[in-house]
Amino acid sequence: MTRAAQNLLLIMIGAAVMWITLATDEYLNYVKPGFRYLLVPAAVALIALGLTGLRREWRDDTGADGGGSGGGGGGDHCHAPGDDHGHDHGGRGPRVAWLLCLPVLAIFVVAPPALGSFTASRAAARQATPPPPPDEGYDALPRNGTPVAMTMGEFMGRSYEAQTGQNSSLTGVTVKLTGFVTPGRKGSTWQVTRLKMACCAGDAIPFPVVVHGLRQPPTDSWVQVIGTWHPPASGARSGVHELDGRSLQPIKKPKNPYE
Amino acid sequence: MYAMTDHAGLRTADDDLLPPPDWGRPRTTAAGTRAVWAFAAVAALLVLGRVWIAPDLDGRSLDAWTTVFVAICVQALPFLVFGVALSAAITAFVPPSFWNRVLPRRPGAAVPVAGAMGAVLPGCECASVPVAGGLMARGVAPAAALTFLLAAPAINPIVIVATAVAFPGSPEMVVGRFVASLVVAVLAGWAWLLFGKGEWIKIPSRPHVDGAGRWESFRQAMRHDIMHAGGFLVVGGIAAATINVVVPAEWVNGVAGIPWLSVLVLAVLAVLMSICSEADAFVAASLTQFSPTARLAFLVVGPMVDLKLIALQTGFFGRRFAIRFIPLTFVLAVGVSAITGEVLL
Repeated sequence: MTRAAQNLLLIMIGAAVMWITLATDEYLNYVKPGFRYLLVPAAVALIALGLTGLRREWRDDTGADGGGSGGGGGGDHCHAPGDDHGHDHGGRGPRVAWLLCLPVLAIFVVAPPALGSFTASRAAARQATPPPPPDEGYDALPRNGTPVAMTMGEFMGRSYEAQTGQNSSLTGVTVKLTGFVTPGRKGSTWQVTRLKMACCAGDAIPFPVVVHGLRQPPTDSWVQVIGTWHPPASGARSGVHELDGRSLQPIKKPKNPYE
Repeated sequence: MYAMTDHAGLRTADDDLLPPPDWGRPRTTAAGTRAVWAFAAVAALLVLGRVWIAPDLDGRSLDAWTTVFVAICVQALPFLVFGVALSAAITAFVPPSFWNRVLPRRPGAAVPVAGAMGAVLPGCECASVPVAGGLMARGVAPAAALTFLLAAPAINPIVIVATAVAFPGSPEMVVGRFVASLVVAVLAGWAWLLFGKGEWIKIPSRPHVDGAGRWESFRQAMRHDIMHAGGFLVVGGIAAATINVVVPAEWVNGVAGIPWLSVLVLAVLAVLMSICSEADAFVAASLTQFSPTARLAFLVVGPMVDLKLIALQTGFFGRRFAIRFIPLTFVLAVGVSAITGEVLL
């Protein structure tokens, strides 16, 4: 890989990262929101590195006259003109570096969407353990019928507590859950699911909640379900968390599709 | 000989060492024969793909593969860039005499100090091989230099932060990685001190990069490391995404269910994937089916033994060194991480 190709590749990677963080919100399909503060400086560094390389090496290659009178930003390099020509070999990049084109291509050409029902069904064998409750325990919830918006993690955590009889804070409370539709395992029921990301999409695990009493919308469509907690039919610790659906509203995919 | 006369100084010799010219190929094969083998391999891949992959392939799995692949690359990128910047800065700006001043004279004592230095100084594994070669060339005991070689990419601050980010809420993974890697590095150093013979190791000679053009040297070292490490990161991302999406879940669960096998499988996977240590925690975090101990083995083995390191070490220190040192490191790394995992995780 020539030095010019390396410099251009660096700029391309930087541009791709800029594209998914600043120009669009696509980075939320891959990583957590906080990552933008790391991604943007990294992209700036890559672009700066590529541009400096292009500028210097272009100057070197255009001959000694350009090398001496360059001046400007890179002024603190005491760089002998023609010095690079003897070491062309050292400046060549390894062939494996061409692979770096793949993620750039994927970002621009494929623009891979957020993970959905495919990942949820693959990971279904692994039982997602509900997240631990906050240190001070869950707050009491209003029982006046107003839907309480809740993350899937909180619903599952409260449901787990209720199933194990520690604290049935969910009984009689109307909740509102947001997620995408995944087909259920027993045919008749379906699930509203949200993927929980620890760090990036690679480690996403599904948080499914089985919905009773509502017709299944198309798989992978995003919905808001309003309903009440459904006590488990069999065994207290079934690991399955259920909801008696009352109403359902299709929504647009949220900006951050993960939890 | 790998003459190093350019700005990037210590970094560039490995370009022509992947794979090293004399590695795994005793005779030169005729180009025609090689082409036949290459085609046979491609044909075998196509058949395997048809049998295993084609029946399960649908648009959603392709999408999921691409998403996971891009996600792993994207989140590892900042750590790669900052880690490479720091290690390039050290190569370019820390004078070699510094090392001789800080390391004790007695090799036995120098080994743990070199290990501890690895905890402070960031260095990618591709960088640490040339740096260790430079240390030896300047009279540091080989055992101490080797300890630094193993410790620096495994437990430096960038890697520790990356591990903490990749495993939120499980600090024991970070502690386990740090402790196990340091123990392996020091044990390997001492083992080399006790049993190693001077003639096994070919100490590279290395000219000093002088003060002139340090920024230029920094820039070139950084670009070179990003190209190298980034390429291998993509390989790791491809492998992790494939495991995540293509390999049947029952297989993975089957392997993951057998403790010793899962440790060994992830250790071998770490060798094959050759991911940069600044990025490997994110790949490990995505292997959610495996036990924490197996993932710890992945994190401990990866920075110390992998394909690119085997190639680099063979090139720098000679084959007689590599065939002894690499198995030693691998066995130590697997053993220590299994024990650490039992105790901590």
